[in-house]
Amino acid sequence: MTVFESLTVALFCIAMVFALLACVFGLIKLLSFIIRRITRKSRIPQPEPMTADGVTVSEGDKEDFSSGTLRLKNVDEPTAAMIMAIVSDESGIPLSELCFKSIKLIQSEKQNIN
Amino acid sequence: MFIDSLKTIWESSGFAALTWQHAVMLIVACILVYLAIVKKFEPLLLLPIAFGVLLANLPLTDLMEAPLTSSDSGGLLYYLYLGVKKGIYPSLIFLGIGAMTDFGPLIARPISLFMGAGAQLGIAIAFVIATILGFTPEAAASIGIIGGADGPTAIFLTSKLAPDLLPAIAIAAYSYMALIPLIQPPLMRMITTKKEREIKMEQLREVSKLEKICFPIVVTIFCVLLLPSVAPLIGMLMLGNLFKESGVVERLSSTVQNALINIVTIFLGVTVGATAVAENFLRPETLKIIALGLAAFMFSTIGGLLIGKLMCWLSGGKINPLIGSAGVSAVPMAARVSQIEGQKANPANFLLMHAMGPNVAGVIGSAIAAGILLSLFG
Repeated sequence: MTVFESLTVALFCIAMVFALLACVFGLIKLLSFIIRRITRKSRIPQPEPMTADGVTVSEGDKEDFSSGTLRLKNVDEPTAAMIMAIVSDESGIPLSELCFKSIKLIQSEKQNIN
Repeated sequence: MFIDSLKTIWESSGFAALTWQHAVMLIVACILVYLAIVKKFEPLLLLPIAFGVLLANLPLTDLMEAPLTSSDSGGLLYYLYLGVKKGIYPSLIFLGIGAMTDFGPLIARPISLFMGAGAQLGIAIAFVIATILGFTPEAAASIGIIGGADGPTAIFLTSKLAPDLLPAIAIAAYSYMALIPLIQPPLMRMITTKKEREIKMEQLREVSKLEKICFPIVVTIFCVLLLPSVAPLIGMLMLGNLFKESGVVERLSSTVQNALINIVTIFLGVTVGATAVAENFLRPETLKIIALGLAAFMFSTIGGLLIGKLMCWLSGGKINPLIGSAGVSAVPMAARVSQIEGQKANPANFLLMHAMGPNVAGVIGSAIAAGILLSLFG
């Protein structure tokens, strides 16, 4: 292989890498755009929650009760309350100073391997 | 009678068959063991490689011998080496790497891909120099890929194009990857100004789970359709990543990033080392490969930094060019070097997550470069 040929191959190779990664760049941009559009659309404005006597609870009122939103996944409220109490007790941090983001039930996979 | 027996035992022993070349290779093996254990140079791979070198250079073991007849069983390492020869181990290692990689920083700032591309410059330059030095195009391509700073990719390509150069290329690639904290900083300080190194970068946006799940699927479809030869590497990398990001196959994800990758690393290291027999390794080409590998690494770092500087200029000084050097795909050491150099210039600088973008882009970039070279010379 002559020097000129090897230079051509080298240039071709690096140009191809740039071209392909530029395409991946475009794909990521497109993907992010589409996903953000979809997720924005799916976020239908929720009516403000009502209390038992029909009074609407505003965002400001909610802040009086909680320092964040707690997501429960396959866990009922009494269990979640118990977990929070245990964490508070074990860590020695008062419950009012703890902020839980989510409590999730982790199940081990029960699948055949063959 | 007794003397004759002793003589027979001696003559059938490895000691009688030991040549000076074997002795030199045993010393090389011991040096590599020292580097792995004492200096901690990529010990996970260098230690098995070193022991493979040691085993292969003990005469009369026939560990790498193919079976000559149907009744002959062949050597243990011969069978294990088939995984390298057929490109199985590098692909399986990519599966594990994929499961350990977070592409979030890359998705959050996709412009990092260009730094990953720029950091493949060393591959092209080393290829040209190697052909000038008289290497065949296949050998030159295998030498050039050292600049990709990706061990499995280098082994994958070399096992297909120039298998006789495999031990030298693998040892050079892993050694230079271990030496990144020594090789890169002087180049980083030489190419960037203090003002550029001080740049603090903005927080990356949060990447949604859906984006992270779609990314491996979209990249696989696009890259493999365009360049089918990258399918084993990109396919496995993205499959591993999908295991991680999907969150529904925790057990598979855990296996590929722990047990599987460890098992494959043992087989890969020992068998690659075992190819370093004296007659293959003790030749001037090995020294040339080691020198060219260093040049490839340096030019790759320079390429990444230059693209980093360009990005810095285009963004109006919002991108710290130091993250460009992380485009060489040694994950995560190259990103750590960017972080350390950034903090030296400005103690309030935290570049690690920003540098992970070009770093993982480099993994994709080097796999694509390997695919292109394989398409050209395979």
